[in-house]
Amino acid sequence: MGLLIARRLGMAVPTLLGVTAIIFLLMSVLPGDPLAGLLSQEATAEDRARLEASLGLDRPLPVRYVTWLGDIAQGDFGYSPYRRRDVAELLGTAFQNTLRLALPAAAIGVTFGLLLGAAAAANRGRFIDRAVSIIAMGGISVPSYWIAILLIIVFSANLRWLPAGGMSGQEGGLIDAVKHLIMPAVASAFVSIGQTARMMRASLVETYGQDFVDTLRAKGLQGHQILLHVGKNALSPVLTVIGLQVGFLLGGSVLIETIFSWPGLGQLIFQAIAARDFKVIQAGIVVIATTFVLMNLVVDLLQMVVDPRLRKAT
Amino acid sequence: MTTLSTNATGRIGSGPIEAAVAPRSYLQEVRERFLRKKTGLAALAVLTTLALASAFGPLLVPYDPNVGVATQRLLPIGSAGHILGTDEQGRDMLTRLLYGGRLSLVTGTAPVLVATLIGLAIGATAGYLGGLVGALMMRTMDMLYAFPAVLLAIAVAASLGPGSKNSILAIAIVFIPPISRVAEAATRKVAFLEYIEAARLSGASTTRIVATQVLPNIFNPIFVYASGLVGLSIVIASGLSFLGLGARPPTPEWGFILNSMRGAIYIQPWVAALPGLFIFATSMSCNLLSDALRDALDIKDA
Repeated sequence: MGLLIARRLGMAVPTLLGVTAIIFLLMSVLPGDPLAGLLSQEATAEDRARLEASLGLDRPLPVRYVTWLGDIAQGDFGYSPYRRRDVAELLGTAFQNTLRLALPAAAIGVTFGLLLGAAAAANRGRFIDRAVSIIAMGGISVPSYWIAILLIIVFSANLRWLPAGGMSGQEGGLIDAVKHLIMPAVASAFVSIGQTARMMRASLVETYGQDFVDTLRAKGLQGHQILLHVGKNALSPVLTVIGLQVGFLLGGSVLIETIFSWPGLGQLIFQAIAARDFKVIQAGIVVIATTFVLMNLVVDLLQMVVDPRLRKAT
Repeated sequence: MTTLSTNATGRIGSGPIEAAVAPRSYLQEVRERFLRKKTGLAALAVLTTLALASAFGPLLVPYDPNVGVATQRLLPIGSAGHILGTDEQGRDMLTRLLYGGRLSLVTGTAPVLVATLIGLAIGATAGYLGGLVGALMMRTMDMLYAFPAVLLAIAVAASLGPGSKNSILAIAIVFIPPISRVAEAATRKVAFLEYIEAARLSGASTTRIVATQVLPNIFNPIFVYASGLVGLSIVIASGLSFLGLGARPPTPEWGFILNSMRGAIYIQPWVAALPGLFIFATSMSCNLLSDALRDALDIKDA
């Protein structure tokens, strides 16, 4: 078991290296002047060369990549000339804000997804099943940015119940914070509801068809006791989907955060792209990709807890 | 055998006994299974309507999509002369949406086509060659999985600059890894079958085997998988132009119109929400159609 975990951890390292390399390459082809904002109008070519040298921009690409990798490994993400702040500090705040949105959104998405999926599987072929399949398909298909606008139209413009944007600060209190949170969280949750419900239904239906369920029935177990056994066996693929959803939400949705002016990772990166603030883009994407990879790692380890067969696998 | 096939109308209970058990071609079976599912047919009808309306609708409407009348700004749905109202510059909404459909449908479907061609080539090659080269190709693809799809598309689109072509390219890059993974898995399944062996024994080259033996036999799962991506692709494409990374103004595009009407949600909320409805209807129909195709082609894992 310990060895298996170590091996799985080891597999994440080349992935992360590859990911950082891709981001680094992507950033070096990005059009725009990396020195913009650092040089004054009357800077000469000589000033420019000196600045380039001091930032290490005159060295070859692989060298710059390794240096950068060493820096971020120590938590040094550089300085944003556009925001006049340390990138690590900017990312820290934004990540916390995204977390504040992503966790409730994931909770909503997973809870409703599991319930809908289980209800559909229990009523297979009946009206509820068909209704859930349409709802789930709707959740997957609907553009979250449109849901966001519809929510604002109904709850902000017409009913005036909820604020149309922003994230309340410390002084607002809990109720104010929740009011700001509801619409962006619900808008983000739609996709997760659809994905989770579909996977939950498919996995439950498949597990119910297996031989061991007949054995349990023959032994005289009640419906809810059987559900317990089936649920445990159906969990594995559902976990994968949930992990993907949570990882996806933790990345911060650029569209949702932009529409609701939520100061999270997605918005930070989008604004950085517009301002050609390279250090922030680079570091932000690294943070999101790393979160994604780690989330998959956690799911894989959880799978081993849930499914003993995976523990023996090579 | 000849009497059977001449009697084969494909419908059970019509005509002599043999008709019920008459052999039916694969395509006949697929078509029957497809026609049985109402959601798939409804989705096909919606998509056809949207596509035809976008293609020919602009020829029928009397308005210019980019010229508005200042005195007729933000009219509600159902106004005289403007069935779907007007936008913030007094331009006819129906006209904008019809013209927008052209761009939205193209920027939504083109990435899937591009990604399928490239992903198929990568996946089939990796799956057929196998070994170190195949593994290396697929692990490289796996790296791209570490990025959430929308973010990757935004990052690539931003680094390429705004514009429809770049948006198509950015979304295609997002879809290449999953398609090549499906293609690789499907190829590995057929690569050891007898007919491939036979082709190799008859002296066919690798390129020829992949092109004439492997590709036709992995077509179905990839076709179904790719069709399932079209809905997502349309949502992402409109999302990019919502953010200003897609089509350049004033060219109408659903996501772009949705964004430009955001300021009007307090005055004409339902006109402002219309473009989103079109994006949703398209993407939902694509997904339902893809589901129906999966059932009709009887594909379990793709």
